[in-house]
Amino acid sequence: MNWIWFHKLGSPKWFYQWSSKWALPVFSMGLLAMLVGVGWGLGFAPTDYQQGDTYRIIYLHVPAAVLAESCYLSLGVAGFVYLVWQMKMAPIFIKSMAPIGAAMAAIALLSGAIWGKPTWGTWWVWDARLTSVLVLFLLYMGIIALQNTLEDAALANQATAIVSVLGLINLPIIKYSVNWWNTLHQPASFSLTEKPAMPMEMWLPLLIAVIGFYCLVVGLVMWRMQSEILLRERRTQWVKEKVMNHGV
Amino acid sequence: MAFNSLADFLTMGTHGAFVWSTYGLVLLILASLILNTVQGRRKVIRQLKKRYLRESDS
Amino acid sequence: MTYFSFFKAECLALFYTKQRVVNALLFFVMVVVLFPLGIDPSAEFLSPVAGGIIWCAAALSVVISVESMYKESYLDGTLTQLIVSGLSLPWLILIKVGVYWGAMMLPLLLLTPVFAQMLFLPSDSLFMLLATLLLGTPGLFLIGSIGAALTVSLRQGAMLMVLLILPFYFPIIIFSTAAIKAMQLGLPYGGLLALLGAISLLALVVSPVMTSLCIKASVR
Repeated sequence: MNWIWFHKLGSPKWFYQWSSKWALPVFSMGLLAMLVGVGWGLGFAPTDYQQGDTYRIIYLHVPAAVLAESCYLSLGVAGFVYLVWQMKMAPIFIKSMAPIGAAMAAIALLSGAIWGKPTWGTWWVWDARLTSVLVLFLLYMGIIALQNTLEDAALANQATAIVSVLGLINLPIIKYSVNWWNTLHQPASFSLTEKPAMPMEMWLPLLIAVIGFYCLVVGLVMWRMQSEILLRERRTQWVKEKVMNHGV
Repeated sequence: MAFNSLADFLTMGTHGAFVWSTYGLVLLILASLILNTVQGRRKVIRQLKKRYLRESDS
Repeated sequence: MTYFSFFKAECLALFYTKQRVVNALLFFVMVVVLFPLGIDPSAEFLSPVAGGIIWCAAALSVVISVESMYKESYLDGTLTQLIVSGLSLPWLILIKVGVYWGAMMLPLLLLTPVFAQMLFLPSDSLFMLLATLLLGTPGLFLIGSIGAALTVSLRQGAMLMVLLILPFYFPIIIFSTAAIKAMQLGLPYGGLLALLGAISLLALVVSPVMTSLCIKASVR
């Protein structure tokens, strides 16, 4: 297998130039797909026979929840990469991704709470799925707090990488909580192996919305990483040229 | 279209307030996330520019 | 230096270290989450004790955040500057405590309805919980300020300070949760609120003087 891409990824300069090309297209595609998926779900998907139209919150809730978990998985992988190979880009990625993941977890929690009120009759229950997502949100906040509190950059990199890897243990708990424990929360909407439980007309816009959220997050994280690269590589010549040629 | 009228669409059957408040809230969070990203970039560039100009002066 | 410039400098300093306030709030959230996870997540258990849980979490996060209140200015020498500034030290302390209280309690009061809902606090008691928090937390900050000043020169004073100060928090917590309980049971609660206010007022008078004595003893 060819490992050149992996080595290239370790170079901030290469990543900056590569991501400058891709960030905007990916972001706008994500925004478009999100609008299509959510708009379709909101206006055109059939009404659920049990929940009526209240179920349409799903088109925000599920994508945000999927992203909250995926973002954390990526944090954990980046943390592992940093701990093993000391790759420069990994802490940059962690720092850029943590606020996005926190926002996604917050969206999942808030939309879930508003959805829970009319369907379960309560804003919140301390069941396994909800609580583990709350813990996920707190983990994100912990990583952000660590980065903002530690002044020594090398220590901050190391510490956030370690916390990111440790937090991975929460992911299987979230994933299987709906199967392991009796909860109010319904089982997963997405599965690679099984046919979706809901009809195609409901499921397809959801899939599009999820893809849209993914692209949106990828675009955003590229932008945030670029800012972070500029800040961290400020002593190099190419950053200086880039900044001085930039009109602000 | 899954709805017969605009009024139906706005009330979402029975729980329109819940559905629309979710969408509003999510819009708010996503917009502030995007705004934060754009502003963070501007701030870094402004900061670095000032720094380079100061360095080249001295 | 004037009182107003000191106030402005304190606000700015707190704004630049806002992560510390966020950390204290996160600690508050964690403590609240511990109770349903550790004891019982059912509404039957949580609903009557929700006010108490939120009060204990608030008291703990206040004592933790107040602990470092004078630490930085002690280490960089600005505390000595305050003493020789010619302004009255108790007033400066009062301003500092006020700024800290505002920075921490405003977001905490905003968070409280959310957690009251998550702990199934009956919605008519929410108002009472907020009232006791408004009346009682100034006392928590003022008493904590004495402890922070006492232990400011110690290298590992955090634990000692918590041990010293928490007993003084007991009456405030007791009267607050008693007022919430009295309201839930339909008993008169005006007297309890008055006692709570009296404690905070007493702390308002005593704490700045005591704190300035402690600071003068610590800074040589």
